[in-house]
Amino acid sequence: MPAAVAPSITAPPGIWRRAARRWRRAPTSFRVGAAILLIHAIVAITGPWWAPYGLSQMGTGIPLSGMSWDHPFGVDQLGRDIFSRVVHGARIVILLSLSGTLLGLVVGAVIGLLSGYVGGWIDDVVQRLIEALISIPFLVLALIAIAAAGPELAGNALLVILVVALVYAPRIARMARAAALDIVTRDYVTAARLRGERAWAVVRREVLPNASGVLLVEFALRAGYAPVLIGSLGFLGFGMRPPTPEWGLMISENRALIIVSPITVIGPGLMLASLVVGLNLFTDGLARMLGRTVKLVEK
Amino acid sequence: MTRTTSRGQSLVEVGDLSVAYHHHDGWLRVVEDVGFTIAKGEAFGLVGESGCGKSTIAYHLLGYRRPGSRVESGRILFQGVDLLRLDRPALDTLRGNRISLVPQNPTTALSPGMRVGEQIAEVLRWHGRERDGGPERRIIELLGLVGLPEPERIGRRYPHQLSGGQQQRVTIAMALACAPDLLVLDEPTTGLDVTTQEQIIELLADLRARLGMSMLYVTHDLGVLAEIADRVGVMYAGHLVEIAPTDVLFSQPRHPYTRGLSASIPRLDAARRPVGKPLRGMLRRDEIPPGCAFYPRCDLARPSCASNAQRPETVGPGHAVACERWREIGPPDLAGGPAAPARPRAMAPPPLLALEDLSLSYGGRTSWRRLLGQESPLVVRDVSFSLERGETFALVGESGSGKSTIARAISGVIAPMRGQIRFAGESLPGSVQARSDTVRRKIQYIFQNPDASLNPRRTVGDTIGRPLQVFLQLRRSKNRERVAALLEDVRLDASYAERYPDQLSGGERQRVAIARALACEPTLLLCDEILSALDVSVQANILELLQRLRAEHDVAMLFIAHDLAVVRALAHRVGVLFGGQLFEIGTARAVFELPFHPYTHELLMATPGPKPAHAPPGVRQAPRPRSSRGCAYEHRCPWKLGPICEQEAPPWRKAAPDLEIRCHREIEDLRDRAIWRPFAARTSQTEVANASVTHRPA
Repeated sequence: MPAAVAPSITAPPGIWRRAARRWRRAPTSFRVGAAILLIHAIVAITGPWWAPYGLSQMGTGIPLSGMSWDHPFGVDQLGRDIFSRVVHGARIVILLSLSGTLLGLVVGAVIGLLSGYVGGWIDDVVQRLIEALISIPFLVLALIAIAAAGPELAGNALLVILVVALVYAPRIARMARAAALDIVTRDYVTAARLRGERAWAVVRREVLPNASGVLLVEFALRAGYAPVLIGSLGFLGFGMRPPTPEWGLMISENRALIIVSPITVIGPGLMLASLVVGLNLFTDGLARMLGRTVKLVEK
Repeated sequence: MTRTTSRGQSLVEVGDLSVAYHHHDGWLRVVEDVGFTIAKGEAFGLVGESGCGKSTIAYHLLGYRRPGSRVESGRILFQGVDLLRLDRPALDTLRGNRISLVPQNPTTALSPGMRVGEQIAEVLRWHGRERDGGPERRIIELLGLVGLPEPERIGRRYPHQLSGGQQQRVTIAMALACAPDLLVLDEPTTGLDVTTQEQIIELLADLRARLGMSMLYVTHDLGVLAEIADRVGVMYAGHLVEIAPTDVLFSQPRHPYTRGLSASIPRLDAARRPVGKPLRGMLRRDEIPPGCAFYPRCDLARPSCASNAQRPETVGPGHAVACERWREIGPPDLAGGPAAPARPRAMAPPPLLALEDLSLSYGGRTSWRRLLGQESPLVVRDVSFSLERGETFALVGESGSGKSTIARAISGVIAPMRGQIRFAGESLPGSVQARSDTVRRKIQYIFQNPDASLNPRRTVGDTIGRPLQVFLQLRRSKNRERVAALLEDVRLDASYAERYPDQLSGGERQRVAIARALACEPTLLLCDEILSALDVSVQANILELLQRLRAEHDVAMLFIAHDLAVVRALAHRVGVLFGGQLFEIGTARAVFELPFHPYTHELLMATPGPKPAHAPPGVRQAPRPRSSRGCAYEHRCPWKLGPICEQEAPPWRKAAPDLEIRCHREIEDLRDRAIWRPFAARTSQTEVANASVTHRPA
């Protein structure tokens, strides 16, 4: 046997170089979305330190005085600076959206993957329940849940998170089940079944890692719409309570002023819109990137 | 088969072709200085393992360049015109018209939303070949030409309404639509089972004889080329290492790689040979030395091979080889070895595994169906056999014969309809949940396709270590030690534990799957077509591994395969299955010798490779829905006795001390009818090769 030819091992490129390469190859929508989200994240994290005024500081300027260098988004009836309130509100909106969606994802994924793996009549029953929940328009469903929770919980941030989770969980569960149905036919799942493993162990070890791409996209997609849902609740008066600087609530508070000082509504609206657009661009790009790698793995 | 040895005008001339693919940060040559010619009416075969560049050449013959590839040098002359210099419109008039392709996978090549007749009409229309009154007549003519029954009706079907073999016939009809001069075939039978494969090859040989076109046949299976090609070029890592007339290549392979390849084909007439000289593992492109690309895997290499570029040298008429040592190596020794010896059956205690009148069906025995009085059709009917400790029992039959279903029932994925499965004397519950941990540990399943049986998101170490965790509660360092030992058992480096399945080759993945199955010392391995998804050279390696592991671990195997040669090399006993019923059972030696059940005979005749004799091809049909009366093979049987075959179930007959055959015909009668000659009747390999040549009509 001849001496083995030494394989030329090239050192793996550094993590930064790899990240830079991935960034260059990423779709444009991903890069634009990521940039918008980065701005929002910076505002949310550092905002309170550089916001010109406090979040409910009154008398910062002449009420309803419109746009100016001091007050780019104007001043409301109580003399509060809208720009400062929007900046302070960023972390609340983002926190509520992400944690609500995350909770919905966890609950939905567990239900959907298990239901898809177990199959049979259990799956049938779970699917009919989920369809029943999805058939209710989501805003109506949210209002029913808030009404059911009772007045003492109204305006509680936790309730808003739970409501977002309740609205999303069945929708995510359906996606998770669809992904699971494809995965459970694979031989590695059969192999685990033949080892006599319990349903949860099979789902966690064999199904979940392979559904993670679908679930990640689903999470990002839902998170992109969560600010609108929370904003709608705030606008209807069922979400956060004043004086919380939640953007939907602020739009609702100032809607009477839309003729006199439109900027007080447009300001928070712009922030909300840019967050949603940023999230959607980001997830769109992410889905395409993950779709690519998933294909590479399956070949 | 016509054999054009005359050097007539060449239709295709490929010269010094080098092609490179863009790869990470540079260009990687996948084809280097390849040159060959194809004469008018000649069938030329290109053979080599996956990634050797054979498909790249095939696609360049269609003037197709994969995005991200470039031709570095060379020419491809087709009727004197260089295809590499033609522009797109000029190529469009050639492709599908003068040169056409039969693709590897008909399922993806046919448009699922279009009737197949319409898809053929599209080709005709594009090349302006429509006759007056539309293309219908030509379509029917073409579909008839490729042997499809009722061409008028087939043309109106959608691809999913056709079987894989029928789909491939449609793509062939499509390729023939404009009566091309050159047909390029890219592994056209790889996805098909052995009987269908044989039919397609017969069809291609017949079409070539009738239409007189040239063929370039690309495959990894050297055995197939014996049936169809006039000349064969052997490719290795982008180089054409040997080129020779087919019979010369089989009788006197010169290049060490060709020898390895031809030794890797499990042959029916030399059971133990594949184990003799399997090719060693595959290499990555960056491990290939500047000289002979085969150097790292070559047993006959000397140091100078690594640096000297190997140029093709003529060694005989039409025979060239790119190896500087061909003179010294000498002619190969082709003596066949003995068949796998039967294992002594001395043990009186209950067999390890016993199936007793097992009947299976999909859809199961749910209370809902029972309530409605429905019974789903049986896939397996009254199958009984037993398996001793350490014994290998092979189940053979075409796809759909119920082989895998039986393995699934033993593993506990589907519950039996009737009958029972005994394991070490104990009756096994139907579902895997109801079985004890010990039984689950002792029976292990190895799946056909290692791509699907390993979780892509788990490392190899994780995958192999999982059963150790579940059954033996081995964790952390103990688990890792055992995983390393198992990897060594299947000849993989311990560092593989950190890798993910997509970083491994197909053969390596199957080794990992085998290591996982062996992890907890099973006594029974269910091997479900575990070789059929692998390259031939890899198959031989895995086969050798199984034989070694079987001895080391004293494990019994139920080996399911459609490849009779593999079965003969590995199994102690064999059962032949058709339409869910056993028709012949006995020791491997006895099953492959006279007498044969008519279906066993059909299977033997269908095996590709040099044949002792040529038999007229019979019309083969898939098993019909089985009626409860009569013989399941009756409608296809070439030796049908008479109405009794349709009315009564055939009896089991004792053909030899270790062979039973189930047929209405007498044993002596079966013995007289067989054309296939058993191995004992032949004296040497070379005589067989000569005989096969003389039997071909000149």
